[in-house]
Amino acid sequence: MTTQHAEEVQAAGEHAVDAAHGAIEEGFNAGEVIIEHVSNSSLDHPIVQLPHIAGIDFSVTKHVMMMWLVSGFLFLVITMATRAYLKQDRRIPSGFMNGLEWLVQSIRDSIVLPNVGAKFVNTWTPLMLTLFVFILVCNVVGLIPMFETLGLFDRFVLGNSHESESLINSVLHGGTTATANYNVTAALATITFFSIMIAGTMAHGFIKHWKNLVPSGLAKPVYALLIPIELMGMFVKPFALTMRLAANMTGGHIAILSILSLVFLFAEIFTSAAVGIGVGFTLALPLAVGISALEIIVVMVQAYVFTLLTAVFIGMAINVHH
Amino acid sequence: MPDPNDHFLARSFEALQENVRRAGPAASAGYTLIGAIGVLGGVGHLIDRWAGTSSPWFLLVGMLFGVVVGFYELAKTVWKK
Repeated sequence: MTTQHAEEVQAAGEHAVDAAHGAIEEGFNAGEVIIEHVSNSSLDHPIVQLPHIAGIDFSVTKHVMMMWLVSGFLFLVITMATRAYLKQDRRIPSGFMNGLEWLVQSIRDSIVLPNVGAKFVNTWTPLMLTLFVFILVCNVVGLIPMFETLGLFDRFVLGNSHESESLINSVLHGGTTATANYNVTAALATITFFSIMIAGTMAHGFIKHWKNLVPSGLAKPVYALLIPIELMGMFVKPFALTMRLAANMTGGHIAILSILSLVFLFAEIFTSAAVGIGVGFTLALPLAVGISALEIIVVMVQAYVFTLLTAVFIGMAINVHH
Repeated sequence: MPDPNDHFLARSFEALQENVRRAGPAASAGYTLIGAIGVLGGVGHLIDRWAGTSSPWFLLVGMLFGVVVGFYELAKTVWKK
């Protein structure tokens, strides 16, 4: 690579897209492509630029856009289905409403009821349902390459180049899992953190809830040790929730992308596209399909585990036994 | 009409659900152990940066606390009745 070329690449480095383009020119850089795909869009190039309010940048990045899309979609679909059901004379749900009712009932009976207990089951079921449905749909949407498909349409049917300023191109990198961002899961875990306190306070009163954190009737020196440990544990539990969800969602995507990168890496090493395609069909594609299938299970299990553990923690604050 | 609960998909889904339900607390303990070390080590690192200490003592103390808290939560999960 000549110095002049290096300077050219460096000059282009200000723009993330151009930088990626430069990387392709000097060879396929798997790491850069993967990180570009899983990480949030840079604040210098958000999808919608919004002004700073009180020092906070409110620009819409791709993860924010995915969250809004998911929440809007869920709000519309679920409200419409429920309204249609309430309007009809028959009390027997049909079609989509049937599935929704099964979901509501199974979350209530298999997650909330055994952990929280019969007294508070109706207080906490709405929160659990919201968490479960939001996390599940965010996870699932991240698995569907809808914006990538849109990009193919843009490139080959409409004939726009990948540097054009078309609307499709600006949202092209939006098809990501919002729950793979630590900030999103941290916000969800913050809801859990405060729910635990509210649940304890509702069940036992404010002072009794804090007293319940440590077992009663121990020697005084033990308390000096236990109280800080329990207080720290209070913060650690939601943090563990944050990490698990985000790490699982990011991990799957990185695995799939790394395996698919083998196609380009092999094509480059042997300087022939045929080798790359051969490796793709014999190794990368079957493996990627297998991991995608695994991801479908992971997506459901992670949504379930997050909801379950929130219910377990809330239940621990309500049903205290030491 | 055959019993819908007898369908093999329904049964396997229920088995999966049951497994996840049982494994949930275990998964919680595992991540709590790492999470405690991570979060308290992070707090220690922030204190180090704020105080400008030359050696990362607070980071080490934080991680040590993390190990203690993590194992305490693990023990609570394991010995819970």
